[in-house]
Amino acid sequence: MEKSAENKIIEDLLPQKFGKQGTIWVIGLFAVCSLGAFAYARQLYYGLEVTSLRDYVSWGIYISNFVFFVAISLVGSLITAVLRLTDVHWSTPLTRIAEIIAVSAISFAGLIIIVDMGRPERFYNLFTHGRLQSPIIWDVVVITTYLFVSLLLLYFPLLPDLKILIRYKERNGKWLQKLYEFLGSFWKDSPQQFKIMNKAIHILSITIIPVAFAIHTVTSWLFATTYRPGWDSTNFGAYFISGAFLVGAGGVLIAMYVFRTHYKLEKYITDDHFNKMGKVVVLLALVYLYFNINEFLVPAFKMKKSEAEHLMDLFTGEFSPVFWFAISASMIVPIIILVFKKGRKPKFAFVAGILVVVGSWFKRYLIVTPTLLHPFLPMHDVPVNYTHYFPSWEEWAIAAGSLAGALLVITFFARIFPIVPIHETITETESNENHL
Amino acid sequence: MKIIYKPLLLFVVFPSIALMAQKPEKDNLVIGVNYYNNNNSTHHLAFKTRSKINGKFKSIPDIKLLVYINNDTEKSNFLGQVITNEVGDAVFLIPPAAKNAWISGPNQTFMAVSEPNKQFDASTGEVAITKAKLKIDTADGRLVHASLLALIDSVWTPISETEVQLGIKRLDANLGLNEILAYTTDSLGAVTAEFKRDSLPGDAKGNLVLVASVVDNETYGNLTAEIIVPWGKYYSHESKFNERTLFARRGLTPLWLELLAYAIVAAVWTIIIYLILQIKKLKRLGV
Repeated sequence: MEKSAENKIIEDLLPQKFGKQGTIWVIGLFAVCSLGAFAYARQLYYGLEVTSLRDYVSWGIYISNFVFFVAISLVGSLITAVLRLTDVHWSTPLTRIAEIIAVSAISFAGLIIIVDMGRPERFYNLFTHGRLQSPIIWDVVVITTYLFVSLLLLYFPLLPDLKILIRYKERNGKWLQKLYEFLGSFWKDSPQQFKIMNKAIHILSITIIPVAFAIHTVTSWLFATTYRPGWDSTNFGAYFISGAFLVGAGGVLIAMYVFRTHYKLEKYITDDHFNKMGKVVVLLALVYLYFNINEFLVPAFKMKKSEAEHLMDLFTGEFSPVFWFAISASMIVPIIILVFKKGRKPKFAFVAGILVVVGSWFKRYLIVTPTLLHPFLPMHDVPVNYTHYFPSWEEWAIAAGSLAGALLVITFFARIFPIVPIHETITETESNENHL
Repeated sequence: MKIIYKPLLLFVVFPSIALMAQKPEKDNLVIGVNYYNNNNSTHHLAFKTRSKINGKFKSIPDIKLLVYINNDTEKSNFLGQVITNEVGDAVFLIPPAAKNAWISGPNQTFMAVSEPNKQFDASTGEVAITKAKLKIDTADGRLVHASLLALIDSVWTPISETEVQLGIKRLDANLGLNEILAYTTDSLGAVTAEFKRDSLPGDAKGNLVLVASVVDNETYGNLTAEIIVPWGKYYSHESKFNERTLFARRGLTPLWLELLAYAIVAAVWTIIIYLILQIKKLKRLGV
């Protein structure tokens, strides 16, 4: 490969400063985060009383958000591990996008759990007095493990890129240069180092798949091991995993479009990537639709009294507008858009990605809340407002703040590191040229 | 044409104005009031708010009721307020403040008054009772006696021809002492029944609670009297809670689960630690 072509790739893929749009975007995210922090300060000061969480709905949008974050984080394992192990090369430019989504989402999943706690200063008790029988502890263990595995999977492929970044000392500025040197000054591109790195990535790719499956299966078990209408299901593990892959893939579609447009990466994140990723989303949406049919058709066919109230609330009752919106937006409409070749063009795929992610957020809300309003043994003499749930402004602000926080992590990562792997792109371009 | 048009206009306009001027009709709120005297020690009132909507009675929640003794005209008769729950029910413990009004006479009236709102006009419900008490006792041969007395002209007088139920207190309802649950008082205001429930599980000491009750009586309300007797079968509960189960407390987790879980966690973290050591190795190679 010619040196000029290599330099062009490097020049194109080096991290860029925030432009005007980027600065507005970051300020906006900071503003939302600040509002969330203010709302959380109020919650700490006044207690969970400022929320709409009561004896019936004790898990509201905080836990919906937690499930959403865990779900979207699974995309790291899909794009990085599954496609890498199956020798699918077209996904190379997307691996880092997928991994940073995974890392930021899983970090905020852990944080949002602390937000849901009435006494967060007692968080350490989960580790010191945790019961191994409790799915909550399984979740704590797998989330921590998944975060470490994802961080390693983000770090190892970054090493050759760090060496490239270190070369651009003047462009980097003082503190970025220090950061790059701290993280990768030891990388010398030696064959031995490559051998170790490739082996490590291979081990991580294998390890992350069961850990990723465990993380979301265990999250589903938080619900399924509880005897309640809507949660008492053996289908829940597979149902959650399929939904998680879908929302993660939707998130990647959005990130692909935003990075491609903002950083002018049309040469690296091509229409073909959208075409292939669109097909992946269609497949995942169909699988998730299949599990949804399983999840609702079987109990709806029997209509046991305890389940009927819950199901009717979803199908035709209080939650029906949200339910049908979630089903349509997260599955049906994206399938209709992406099943056609024209629909897999970047702009349409971006719209489909947004629909998948927004619909999936509401889907998590529907998994958590309506069931809590229909316990097998209703409480007596509770105030009427206990039997309904609508989040308070503090809950909305905290949830929005956490989503903005996750986006900030991704934004700053893209500012500091190449969002498309430079070294892997050069290697693959060389390999393609050799094939030709 | 003009001549015909004007009277016609009147026909159309006047009924419309009349209809518009008419206030929308409010539903009628029915307040049910019941009096309860428990074991001659505490007494309370139970309220139920309902309304006939589209031909059917429906419970009305969230209704504030002001509770009075005797009448609602004097401020001193006000006892307190309650709000009905999601099924239109509310319970009100009669406070010590009602003592003076309560002892003033043998007959009492309790009233619940609701305030008008968008859906209902103000409404009143009341219950009038004659003070009464039930007594319960036992005799040899496992006989249970109960007697009903009412305060008539300042004298506790036996009340005949009134239905009294005799039963054993269980978790949800009372179980009859024998095949018959309800009896009618004789001229001495008494009823007697034989206890025939042998080998009925009692509490930790084998005790049972016998209950005499007057239910929904128009004159006396709801009265109960209780007595504890050692006629039950001693029941010892053998707990298996402390055995190793999936749901057992911390130290009693099943061994296989502990071993399996720790083995999986250890295996994964060994890999993570191995990979971190690989970074160290990479660093050494780069020096």
